[in-house]
Amino acid sequence: MATSDLTMRADDDLPRLLAAVANGDQAALRSVYERQSVRLFGVANAILRDRDVAADAVQDAFLKISRRAGQFDPARGHAEAWLAGIVRHAALDIIRARGREMPTDDPALGDVAVAPEAEERLAASAEGRRLRDCLAGLEPKNREGIILAFVHGLSHPQVAERLGTPLGTVKSWIRRGLLALRECLA
Amino acid sequence: MIPTDPAERDAMAGEYVLGTLDTHDAREVERAMASDPDLRAAVEAWEARLAPLTALALPEAPPPGLWDRIEAALKGERPAAPPPAVKPSGFWRFWALGASVVAAGLAVFLVMRPVPQPPLMTVLLTQQDQPAWLVEADGGALRLAALNPQPLPPDRVMQLWALPQGATAPTSLGLIPPQGRLTVTPATIRPEPGMLIEITLEPPGGSPTGRPTGPILFIGRLLPARGA
Repeated sequence: MATSDLTMRADDDLPRLLAAVANGDQAALRSVYERQSVRLFGVANAILRDRDVAADAVQDAFLKISRRAGQFDPARGHAEAWLAGIVRHAALDIIRARGREMPTDDPALGDVAVAPEAEERLAASAEGRRLRDCLAGLEPKNREGIILAFVHGLSHPQVAERLGTPLGTVKSWIRRGLLALRECLA
Repeated sequence: MIPTDPAERDAMAGEYVLGTLDTHDAREVERAMASDPDLRAAVEAWEARLAPLTALALPEAPPPGLWDRIEAALKGERPAAPPPAVKPSGFWRFWALGASVVAAGLAVFLVMRPVPQPPLMTVLLTQQDQPAWLVEADGGALRLAALNPQPLPPDRVMQLWALPQGATAPTSLGLIPPQGRLTVTPATIRPEPGMLIEITLEPPGGSPTGRPTGPILFIGRLLPARGA
């Protein structure tokens, strides 16, 4: 399966395309969409778990990308990460606006579980391997809490419910986990 | 309030990127970033640290026509009305999509959870790739839990089956109670890697023949969950 080739290969053209988008070139935005929409839709759908709502999030995100392309600075990060950040925050805005109404017995259980290829996708980049190794050094529940929140948009109470842990404990675990990751990645 | 203590500010930036801030705090971070380059740098650093995790999301093709909607919205036209956000998930719609075809039963693994003995498990998915059932082996027992219960018609029940590798016929593990939870310890077979788990739709009381008679609704293979 060529997924990793299609989605994880560093796309050297993206910074150039984003610069063109910043100059109002809509064809360039379309090229960004064509190259990245499968990956970005997956990011939104992992949080929203509803294709229709995920499509709304990707639409919101592309409107933001069109307005903010001039703020992308290749010196400060990868274009893929910048795009994914916009999509994640668009998806998070939607679930916050809906009061994170996902029922706790909802497919959330699929959340901790990620397909075996997922780890390969994570390990496809040097940064991903480093992060994976640092995550591996965390307490399992710290690690799961961070993954559930980042990848699947679970709130503190939802993480607490999923891990069967008091809310206050989850909050401090997640904070400790983030600090430990920062140390490890420094 | 955006904290003034540097450690607290950085923690808040991290939680903003993680997505765990509530609406009020998230908005506050976004507003403050516009005029606070340090906070913005902290947020960007966290985005860079955590960005590789987006690779854990399964890439998925967006619905056709999404680009056209984006383009229309960019032109300031009213975008085509998006489809309703809440899908009707009535039973017949659900099964109409899945009954005649074997539902895509894909094994989904727990990763990054170091365990001495990898537990055997699988997640049975709907055709829309939504997790529907979690199946876990615990020694000789199998535990089944519904993740996304769907109503059944009154004259049908769901029956759980296991097919060990090399076996020619599945063994019934019993009927799935309406609440969607079942733990069984089969007398004649033992959960093992590669064992097929399937759920079929059967008449009340279960299959009269001892073999599946209805459509396979879900199917998946027990696999060891990988450690870190």
